[in-house]
Amino acid sequence: MKKIIIIALFVIGTLHAYAQEQEAPKLYTLPSPFDRYTHYLATARLTGAMPVGSFADNYIDKASFRNYSISLEWVLRDSPFSLGGELGSSFFEKRIPRAIYENGDETISAVQTRTLSQIPIEVFGNYHFLGKNSTVQPYVQLSGGVSILDYTLYYGNLSSQAQKVRPKYGIGLGSKFLFKRDGAFGVDVRVKYDGVSYKHEYIDKGISSVNGSIGLFYRWW
Amino acid sequence: MLKKASLLILAAAFGIMSCSKDPISDLSTEETLVYVTNHDKAANYTQYKTFSIVDSVLVVENGQAGTALTELDRDVLVRIMTNMEKLGYKYVRPQDKPDVGINASWISNTYLNVVSQPLSNYYGGYWGGGGFGYGYPNYYQYYQTNENYWLISMLDFKNPNTVDKTFNVVWDAQIRGAGINDRQFVDTMVDSIFGQSSYLKIN
Repeated sequence: MKKIIIIALFVIGTLHAYAQEQEAPKLYTLPSPFDRYTHYLATARLTGAMPVGSFADNYIDKASFRNYSISLEWVLRDSPFSLGGELGSSFFEKRIPRAIYENGDETISAVQTRTLSQIPIEVFGNYHFLGKNSTVQPYVQLSGGVSILDYTLYYGNLSSQAQKVRPKYGIGLGSKFLFKRDGAFGVDVRVKYDGVSYKHEYIDKGISSVNGSIGLFYRWW
Repeated sequence: MLKKASLLILAAAFGIMSCSKDPISDLSTEETLVYVTNHDKAANYTQYKTFSIVDSVLVVENGQAGTALTELDRDVLVRIMTNMEKLGYKYVRPQDKPDVGINASWISNTYLNVVSQPLSNYYGGYWGGGGFGYGYPNYYQYYQTNENYWLISMLDFKNPNTVDKTFNVVWDAQIRGAGINDRQFVDTMVDSIFGQSSYLKIN
């Protein structure tokens, strides 16, 4: 805060000197600090995820609402881009009533509980279509990273588990909504396609899902 | 400012990782039961007409065997007989040369496990992926796990392997899960293993 006051005083001072020769300065038209500086923006998101593709067909097709993430990004000055990192947690689960599974010569009758939990760690780049102080800021996002995943398939209360770190990527479309112009807080809404390359038992062509998230962000410089 | 933010993010990350819940805690006892059956695909079950069954349950605990006949055991044996008769086999006494014999065993294994503290595969075990572990001193802790299951097998007395002096197991079934030592589930358990083995039917 002190820093801001000093900067503000300094700005006012120099402008004042400048104004001696020029016409009176329009202080209120000075661009906002969010326009002038590269600033930070942190977002916490709650996500609803819908499995798609062969992951949904072969393993879990049930939507999940137990997904969270936090991200930190650098909103670059004089550029429509921002770069950042996102860390999340996602969990898919599906219960299948008692059924008979043939496994070679073996016949297994059990209630299956299929689960997949992931800790995705990604870096991302956003391209914003409108200015940093527009109350609506639509963006497109490209992300890439790894997913620390845990595939646990339960037969009754017996489990078979596989853990792996696999590459992942994502394409998103979203928008930030500032609560007030030039403000620090806002809401972030995003729809994102996530793909993880993974192959194990029931999952033969990777894990893909369409995720809708709603987040709260705070920005500062 | 950034430092503070990163700390916050780290704290949140730990929060995220520790909030996983047990996905099978809502299973009923009946739902935890798992029935696994195997059979000899070459066996022709229609050649068998008679069967017999052990008069008590073989209890195998950590490789040491004994026999027992509790009320639970008796329920299991009686239910197996009911199912075999329903499939068309005729009960004969063991000394009357049955075509097949049924064994029922209760297998119980206890394992002693050792872990170093903190339980690295539980909290924050994910950080170990980069080849780095925790810098804590090692505290070791022991814990026991126990597995119990029923093993029911069908032996071919009609065609003994004279070379090896063995009887072939032509069918076997394992019953695992919570509630396998509960008399309430005996009928469900035994009916299930025979129910999923329709090839045993000879009538």
